Amino acid sequence: MSGINNGPKDQITTSQAAVMVINYMLGAGILTLPRTMVEAAKTSDVWMSILISGVIILVAGWVIVKLCRRFQGKTVFQFMPEITGKWIAFIISMIIITYFITISAFEIRIMAEVTGFYLLEGTPAWAIVMTFMWVGLYLILGGINCIARLYEIILPITLVFFLIAILLSSRIFDVNHLRPLLGSGIKPVLQGIKPSLLSFTGYEIMLVTTAFMKNPKKANKAMMAGIVVPVIIYLITVIMVIGGMSINGVEKRTWPTLDLVRSFEVQGLFFERFESLLLVIWIMQIFSTFTVTHYAASLGWSQLFKKNVRPFIFAMLPVIYLIAMIPKDINEAFKLGDMFGNVSVYLFGGIPLILLLISILLKKGAKPN
Amino acid sequence: MKRSLYFVLRIAAAILLILNTGCWSSNEIEDVSVYVGLGLDVAQVSEFERGIEKQGASYPREKVLTATVQIVPPITGKGQKQGGSSSTPSEAYMNEKLTGDSIIQIFRQFSLRRDRPLIGHHLKVIVVSSELAKRYSLEQIFDFILRDNDIRPSCLVLVSHRNAFEALSTNEPGEVPALYLAGLVDNRYRSNKIIPPVTLIKLDSAMQSGSSFLLQNVVTAQNDHKFSGAGIFKGSTKKWVGELSQLDLEGLSWFSFDVKGGALKTYAPEGYSITYEPKNSKSKIIPKVEGNDISFHIKVSSEGRLIEDWSFPEIPSSGQYMRELEKQFEKEARKQIQQVLHKMQHVYRVDVGGFNKQLRIKYPKVWNKVKEDWDETFSNIPITYEIDMKITDFGSSTD
Repeated sequence: MSGINNGPKDQITTSQAAVMVINYMLGAGILTLPRTMVEAAKTSDVWMSILISGVIILVAGWVIVKLCRRFQGKTVFQFMPEITGKWIAFIISMIIITYFITISAFEIRIMAEVTGFYLLEGTPAWAIVMTFMWVGLYLILGGINCIARLYEIILPITLVFFLIAILLSSRIFDVNHLRPLLGSGIKPVLQGIKPSLLSFTGYEIMLVTTAFMKNPKKANKAMMAGIVVPVIIYLITVIMVIGGMSINGVEKRTWPTLDLVRSFEVQGLFFERFESLLLVIWIMQIFSTFTVTHYAASLGWSQLFKKNVRPFIFAMLPVIYLIAMIPKDINEAFKLGDMFGNVSVYLFGGIPLILLLISILLKKGAKPN
Repeated sequence: MKRSLYFVLRIAAAILLILNTGCWSSNEIEDVSVYVGLGLDVAQVSEFERGIEKQGASYPREKVLTATVQIVPPITGKGQKQGGSSSTPSEAYMNEKLTGDSIIQIFRQFSLRRDRPLIGHHLKVIVVSSELAKRYSLEQIFDFILRDNDIRPSCLVLVSHRNAFEALSTNEPGEVPALYLAGLVDNRYRSNKIIPPVTLIKLDSAMQSGSSFLLQNVVTAQNDHKFSGAGIFKGSTKKWVGELSQLDLEGLSWFSFDVKGGALKTYAPEGYSITYEPKNSKSKIIPKVEGNDISFHIKVSSEGRLIEDWSFPEIPSSGQYMRELEKQFEKEARKQIQQVLHKMQHVYRVDVGGFNKQLRIKYPKVWNKVKEDWDETFSNIPITYEIDMKITDFGSSTD
């Protein structure tokens, strides 16, 4: 265990970095995304909002990479004091760590809610959550390399099965549900941007992972791939869900993406029903979001206090569990998620830009060649 | 010391593994009642219920509706023993009725009667009686069903002319009526009197959108059923307001949903029947807006086959004869369309033909202005139509 620093064996390749971003982004959001967007925009044009927010996120991601590249081999927790001084850096680091912890807890809570409702009715939430967290703990203890390698296995599986399940719904797809294009103008599309931005949280992990990259020059590429793949996945999801259920149908369903897959049966294929399949692969995605945030938070603590990461990983376990259990019901859980989604927009859209500007002005860090 | 600790831990883990070999909240399929059909009727208290109520076995409730669940009994050892004799016909399914005013409460009441509780994962068909839907809004009736986590949104929804319980009964041995009804909708390629299947999710979005809609109607007589026409549900109330007949549906199908099959019959001047089988139909509803005036134009073009001709003496299928027949079929289809439009606009005053959809797509701004009171507005809108039929072939016989 190399602890504080990235030893030679704790390095990840460019594609692994990209996979980490993708796996982090694809999480609980995708199950509710169509509903939150339609609720906000009240139009079937929301898929355009996804494209727009994708571009916005690409810019934000570019800023983050630009910033990290100035401080080779250092994570955000390590290089921030150089820019802002110790105390401000400490406060911002604490906020970032809290953010990671809460996202981790939120993912766990949503996972418990959905599996409790659709998959394992009757199994107590703690039993689902604890096994989940312990397995996650085991993974994280292996360090970033193990995490990245597991994600490389998870990602293709989820992509393939997700696309199969979603594309099979083409049997109930009706293009009229997506028409007219821009029927109520561009304004609702802009209103849809905010909820879709929330589902793009995840690119911020590059603040940490760039430091571990074998070839940091390609960080930008990793970021690009990491954002474009989720954009495509979200786009397909929203189009298929609205095309299959119409905006009126989407608006009143708690889990529209799951309900889309529950809305048809395929006879003669190996499976008739695909929601269990979708749930299983989606639990893998939640698992990856949970583990990566758990890891990032623990790493943050350890680098902040310059101590070994191991005890922090264990220490975070009960904290995450307790935070996950704070929301009294599912609505509060959704609110928590929305709140931290909002925080993320400012935290990782705004602060890296400010940090980058300061570091350029004060000529801090090395200029990337 | 450390080694022995690890040894103990390993043993403990191994023992835990043994304890771990099952699902936490598993439910064996033999221990639950799988219901595949659900019928909803106005309250009719059954003999059984009356009997137990006499003994004071009742709970506070209004007599609002009677739910019939169709359970597929698991194949038991007993049944296999009798294997050779194909005896009682009702063995393939079991209908259970209970009355109450909350569907979920009724369902839970079943657990007081049967050792195997109900599970809804395999519900295929829900039949609502028109009588019940006349009294209560579908939004009320289906509230539980749309919330439930077992029932899939892919479940088919039908309306029954008489009794939903009857629609879920049959005399045919070995037949499960719910599955049979679910299979009927697949016959759309053979008949244009079947509307595209309305599943729960489609019902939900239709109800949320506030537009009027249709549900396929099931008619029963002597415990046998037939799809015939469709029940009309008014968008503002979500209540049953009337029915479209088979003929109306045929007319509607020409422009409202793609015709995949069917038979269009007309009579030759001599009085013999001639039948056209549509193969490939295209239709378009074109909305027109001029100022405040909205109008619609329907364009139907259909290609098909002359499939039956009773004319006697036989007339060779010459080109000219075909043209004549095409005109005749066009006239027939025109008649059907006119009839259904009349019913929609002047009898029931609802738009179930998808005119609203086209207006919404082509003129979203106009639509936003008129959508509140669309059904009324629609009843006064002029609609024109043109039909173009083409007999492309006359089957394997040329005369």
